[in-house]
Amino acid sequence: MAKLTLYVNKELRSVEVEPRETLLDVLRDKLGLKTPKCGCDRGDCGACAVLIDGKSVRSCLVFAIECEGQQITTLEGISGDKLTDLQEAFIELNSFQCGFCTPGVIITATELLEHNPHPSREEIQEALSGNLCRCTGYTPIIEAILAHTTKEGK
Amino acid sequence: MKDFRYVGKPITRIDGREKVSGAAIYTDDIDFGPNLLYAEIVSSPLPHARILSIDTAAAEQVEGVVKVFTGRDFPFKFGLYMKDRYIFAQDKVRFVGEQVAAVVARSQQIAKEAAALVKVEYEELPAVLDQMTAVCDECTLVHPELGDYPHVPWFFPKPGTNIAHWRKTRRGDLEQGFAEADHILEENYEVPRYAHCAIETHVAIGKFDHSGRLTVWSSSQSPHTQRHLFAEALAPMGLTHKDIRVIAPHVGGGFGGKAGVTMEIIPAALATKLRGYAVKLRWTREQEFVNTYQRLGVVAKIKLGVKKDGTITALDHKIYWDAGAYVEYGANVVNAVGLSAIGPYRIPNLSIDSICIYTNLPPGGAYRGFGYSEMLFGLESHMTTIAKQIGMDEIEFRRKNAILEGDKTAYGAAMNPNGLIEAIDKVVEAIDWHKDYQNTDPRKAIGKGFAIFWKAPAMPPNASSSAFLKFNEDASINLIISGMDIGQGYQTVMAQIAAEILGVNPAKIRVETPDTDRNPYEWQTVASHITWGSGNAVKRAAIDAREQILDLVERVHHLSRDSLYLEDEAVKCHTQPSFNLPLKSFVVDGIPTEDGSYRGGPINGRGMFMPEFSSATGDPETSQGGHPNVHYTVGAGALILEIDRDTGKMKVLKAAEAIDAGKAINPDLVKGQITGGLLQGLATVLYEDMRYDEKGRLLNANFTDYKIPTSLEVPEEIIPIIVEVPQPDGPFGARGIGEHTMLPAAPMIANAVEDALGIRIRSMPITAEKVILTLLQKGKQDA
Amino acid sequence: MSGGFEYYQPRQLSEVLSLLERYQDKARILAGGTDLAVYIKEGIEHPEAVIDIKRCAGLKGLDVSEQGVYIGAQTTFSELVAHPAVRMDYALLWDCAHSVASVGIRNRATLVGNICSAVPSLDAAPALLCHDAVVHTVSASGSRDICIHDWFRAPRQTARQADELVLGVSFPKPAVRFSGIYLKLGRYRGEDLAQAGLGILYTQQREYRLAFCAVGPIPTRARRIEQLIKGKTIDAELLSQARALVAEEVSPITDIRSSREYRLHICEVMLQRGIQAVLERYDGKPIHAATVLGG
Repeated sequence: MAKLTLYVNKELRSVEVEPRETLLDVLRDKLGLKTPKCGCDRGDCGACAVLIDGKSVRSCLVFAIECEGQQITTLEGISGDKLTDLQEAFIELNSFQCGFCTPGVIITATELLEHNPHPSREEIQEALSGNLCRCTGYTPIIEAILAHTTKEGK
Repeated sequence: MKDFRYVGKPITRIDGREKVSGAAIYTDDIDFGPNLLYAEIVSSPLPHARILSIDTAAAEQVEGVVKVFTGRDFPFKFGLYMKDRYIFAQDKVRFVGEQVAAVVARSQQIAKEAAALVKVEYEELPAVLDQMTAVCDECTLVHPELGDYPHVPWFFPKPGTNIAHWRKTRRGDLEQGFAEADHILEENYEVPRYAHCAIETHVAIGKFDHSGRLTVWSSSQSPHTQRHLFAEALAPMGLTHKDIRVIAPHVGGGFGGKAGVTMEIIPAALATKLRGYAVKLRWTREQEFVNTYQRLGVVAKIKLGVKKDGTITALDHKIYWDAGAYVEYGANVVNAVGLSAIGPYRIPNLSIDSICIYTNLPPGGAYRGFGYSEMLFGLESHMTTIAKQIGMDEIEFRRKNAILEGDKTAYGAAMNPNGLIEAIDKVVEAIDWHKDYQNTDPRKAIGKGFAIFWKAPAMPPNASSSAFLKFNEDASINLIISGMDIGQGYQTVMAQIAAEILGVNPAKIRVETPDTDRNPYEWQTVASHITWGSGNAVKRAAIDAREQILDLVERVHHLSRDSLYLEDEAVKCHTQPSFNLPLKSFVVDGIPTEDGSYRGGPINGRGMFMPEFSSATGDPETSQGGHPNVHYTVGAGALILEIDRDTGKMKVLKAAEAIDAGKAINPDLVKGQITGGLLQGLATVLYEDMRYDEKGRLLNANFTDYKIPTSLEVPEEIIPIIVEVPQPDGPFGARGIGEHTMLPAAPMIANAVEDALGIRIRSMPITAEKVILTLLQKGKQDA
Repeated sequence: MSGGFEYYQPRQLSEVLSLLERYQDKARILAGGTDLAVYIKEGIEHPEAVIDIKRCAGLKGLDVSEQGVYIGAQTTFSELVAHPAVRMDYALLWDCAHSVASVGIRNRATLVGNICSAVPSLDAAPALLCHDAVVHTVSASGSRDICIHDWFRAPRQTARQADELVLGVSFPKPAVRFSGIYLKLGRYRGEDLAQAGLGILYTQQREYRLAFCAVGPIPTRARRIEQLIKGKTIDAELLSQARALVAEEVSPITDIRSSREYRLHICEVMLQRGIQAVLERYDGKPIHAATVLGG
C-alpha cells in the first residue's frame, strides 16, 4: 500500500492504494465519486472517462498511483454548484436516454470545447467516437453540443 | 384531433437533471459499507459436460474468503415461462460460461484469486452447437428430463428431443393456396446471435438480514417479476414474497437483456446463506456477453406463392431457433414469432412452424424486437425478391397486400386499427423513393431498400400494471409506479399523462425508480407495452384523484361537478370564471370550512390496468382461437445506401422510418427511439458479428471485436415520421413503439445491396467483407 | 498476490536504467499504459516492477525541424496529432497517429509504446518504415541506434533488450518534396485495430515507399512493388502488375476480424487508391484518408 495525494475536482484528497488499483476503482470505491462508470474495463467504451490535468483519459487504464499530485476532474466537479450551459443544453434537448454514458460524454465534450469552442458536426462526431452510447443513436448528443456552441454566439 | 396541454408535446424529460448532473444512482454506485462481500463465479470452460467433482478446499483456505458455494447449496430450478434453469449448474454444464461455483470474499481481488483455485473435474459430453444439428434424430439431448419441466400451458415441448417448444399456426388450405399461385419462391435465410451490449453490465446485490428478510438491488427491467422468480426459486428455503424486497435503481440500458432473471438470482441466493451480509455480483463485460441472455439465432425456410397481379395466396414459413442451453424466456420469443410470422400482410392460406431448439450455447432470451427482427430479415427480403421476380414495384406489392383493420391475423383475430398504408406512403415521400439516385463516382453503387414491419407485445394474458398517485403540500405529485425507465423516457411519459388529467405541469411530477415494498405491481418493462399498460393505469389513478378532488369541491363549494375542471394547478369553474381554488391549499390539508373544521384530506389516487380480453388458449395444432396479442404496432422504412464497389464499405446516405404510435405522448421521445433503434438495427446487419469456435466458446466477448456503433456510424440523414391512428384502448390512443424501430433495418440493407449490386445475400451480418467475397465469388462463377 | 507489482516513478534517466538493469525482463516500462494496463489486468503479463517514465526529467520530447522528426518516449499520439508541422508536412505520420483508437486513448498512448508493444496491426509502423526511421535505445551499458527495419522481429517481439529503454525514434526530413498517406481497413468508421494497413510515401523523384501492417507477422516494406513502379508513370497496366505482386508482399491470415481473402483484396485496393491519393496530395488536393476506402 502506498499513500497517494491528488486533487479531485479541485479538492485535495489522500488515499491508500495498491499499485494495481485503477484510477476508476479508486475514484469510485475509495473516494466516493460515482459518475465515472465501468462499462468494459478495457478502455473500449469511454464510460470511465475523466480529465487528468484537463485531458480526457480512460480511467480504467490508468493506475491511480500514476496520478500523484495531478488534477482529476469528474462530472461531479463539472456539475459543481450549478450545471454548465452545456449540461443545460443536454437537458433541454433530451440528449440522453439511460444516462449511463452521459458522464463520459460530457467529460469528452468539455475537453473538446476547451480547445475547439466551435466544432463542426464532423469534429464533434470525431471527438465523441470513443464514447459508446447504445441508446440515443448519438444525434441528440451532437445536436446539444452544436446548440451550445451556437448559443455562445461568437 | 383534440389538442392537449401536455400530451403530444415534446417536453423536456423529467429525469434530465438527475442524469446529466451525474446525480442518478445506478446499482453499482450504491455503497454498502465495510460489510459488503464480493462474489466471483467459477464458470464452465466446456459447452456440455458432466460435473464429476468440485474441489473447493484450496479456495476456502485463502485469507479473506468467507465461503465457497456450488450447485449443491442451491438445487433449485427457476424460469419465467418454463422451469428449466438452475441457480448453479447441478450435474451438468450446458454452455461455456455457465456458473458452476461462487467464491464470496471480503474483496473482489481475493474472490478472483480464490476462484482460480477451485478445481472442477468434467467429463465432456458431445455438444450441439447449431439448431439444425440439434434437431436431427439420434443427437445429444441437452435436456433429457424435458418432459418433467413445468411450463406455461401455451408451450408444447417434445420430450425425448431438443425441441423445447413448437408453435404451429395454420389457417386456410396451404396446398390450395400454392396451387392458385402463378409464381412461387422458396428460399432460406440465416440470422446469427446478437448481444444487447447495454453500456451498464448486469449487477445485483443481495442482502439477507438477521430478521430473515432478503433485499435485492438489481439493474433490472422487472423488479416485481424478479421478486416473483426469487420467491419461486427460494421457496424450498421457506421464503415467500413478503420476505423478499427488490429495489431497482436507475438502469444503464436494458434492451430486453435485463428482463426476467439471469445472474441476479446468484447474489440473491448467496445472501440467504450469508445472513447479515450484503453480497455483490457485478458482471464483467466478458461475462455480460456470455452469461446473460443473447438474441436467438435463426434458420428460416420461406415458401411464398403469389398471383401475377401480386396478390399473396400462400405462405409456408418454417423457423428453426437456436435458443441456447436454457429457454425459460427464449421459448416465448419463438412463440411470439410463431403467431406473427406472416408479417404485416393479409395472407389467406398459411402455415407457420416456429421451433425452439436447445443447443449448448448461452441462453437466448428477450432482445429488443423479441424475434421479429430475425423473422423480418427473411420475410422482407423475400417479399422484395418476389415482387421483382413478377415485375411488380415492391412498394405497390406492399400496398396491395398490407394488412388492414379487420383483416385476420395469423391466428384468426381481427387486426387492430393501424396506419400501415399511411406509413408506407409517408416513407416513400420522405425518402423521395422514385428519384433516380444517380451518383457521379463510378467507384460507388447506390441502392434503395424498403421494408415494412409489425410487432405485438408478447405477454401472458394477465400482464398488468398498477399506479398510486399522491399529492404533496405544494401540489407536486409523486407517481408511484413500477415500470422502469431504461432510457426510453417512461417516467416522463407517465408524468405527461398524469399532468394532462390533473392540470399539473410534468416538471412538478416526480417519478422515482421502484421498490417492490412501496410500488404497486407492474409485470415487466418489456414488450413495448408500458406506455399502453402502465399509461392506462396512471391515467386511471389520475382520474381517481381528479374525481376525489371534484367530488370534494362540489361538496364543499356547492358547484356542480360538471362545471368544474383542473388547470394550472387549480380547480376552476366554467360557469364561475372567478372561481380558482389552488390545489396546494387543500390536496393534503383538506378544505377549511366556516366553523373551523376541514373537509377532505390527502388526495391519493389509485389505478390498475389488466387486459381482460387477452387469452393464450389457441388450438395447439393451429393456434386458431384465443387472443394472444393485445394489438400490433406497424410501420415502414426505407433507406438509400451507397456501396463502395471495391471495398464493400457501405454508407447509409438517407433513412426514413414511419411508425404508428397511435398517439405520440411525447413526439421527441418517439423520434429518439427511431434514431437509436435504427442505428442498433443497422449495427446488427452491418458489423455486429458474434464468433464462436468449434467448442462453443465466444471468441469476441469484448468491444474491441464485437463492434457496436460509434458516433461516426450515424447515417447522414434520418427522417423520423410519426403516424397516429389511435389505439382505441390506449391512453389518449397510444400504443408502444420502443422495440419496433429496429425491425426494418436488416431487410432494408439486404434489399438495398441487391438493388445496388445485383447480389442477394440471405445471411446476416451483411458486412463489407461479405459483400466483396460474394461479388468475387459471383465473378468467378460468371467467368 | 497475482496482478500485484512494485511501482516506480523515477525522476532521472539513471534511475530508470538501474531499475531496468536490476529487474531485466521482470520489469515493464509504463508510459501511456493503454496496452500494459490491459495486459496486466487480464493476466497476460505479470511484471514484478512497473517503471513509470512520465515524470522522468530530461527525456527529449517531440521535435519537428529542418533536420527531421524526433518522437520521444513520452510523446503521445495526441501531441503528434496536434502539432501543426506534423499535420502540414508529414501527412503519413499524422494519418497514422490520428487513426489510433480515439481521443481518450491518444491522450495517453505513446508512439514509442506502440512500437514496443509491436502488435502486428500497429498503426505507427507504416510511417516509420517509409521514412526509414531509427530507434534510439539506452541501457546502463550504453546506447544503440537500431534501424526500424531491424526493430520488429515477430508479433509482439522487438529488438529491445530487457535492460533497454527506448528514448525515442527519429527520421530525417526528406531532401525533396514528398507526400504521404496511411490507409487503414477497419470494420467500420469508429475505432478499430487495423485488419490491413498501408502507408505510402511519394517523393519528387517518383520514388514510392510502401509499408504494410496487420497483414503479416511484422510490418514490412513492399520492396518488390516499390522496385516495379519506381520512376514510372502510373497507368492501368502498371497498376495491374503492381496489384499482382501484392500477394507476394503480404501474408494475411484469417482470424475473427477478417479473412485472408478479403484482406488480400483490400491490400490491392489500398495500393491502387493509395497511389492515386498520394499523387493527388502531392498536387495539393486535400484528401481525407478515412474516406478513401469508402463507407
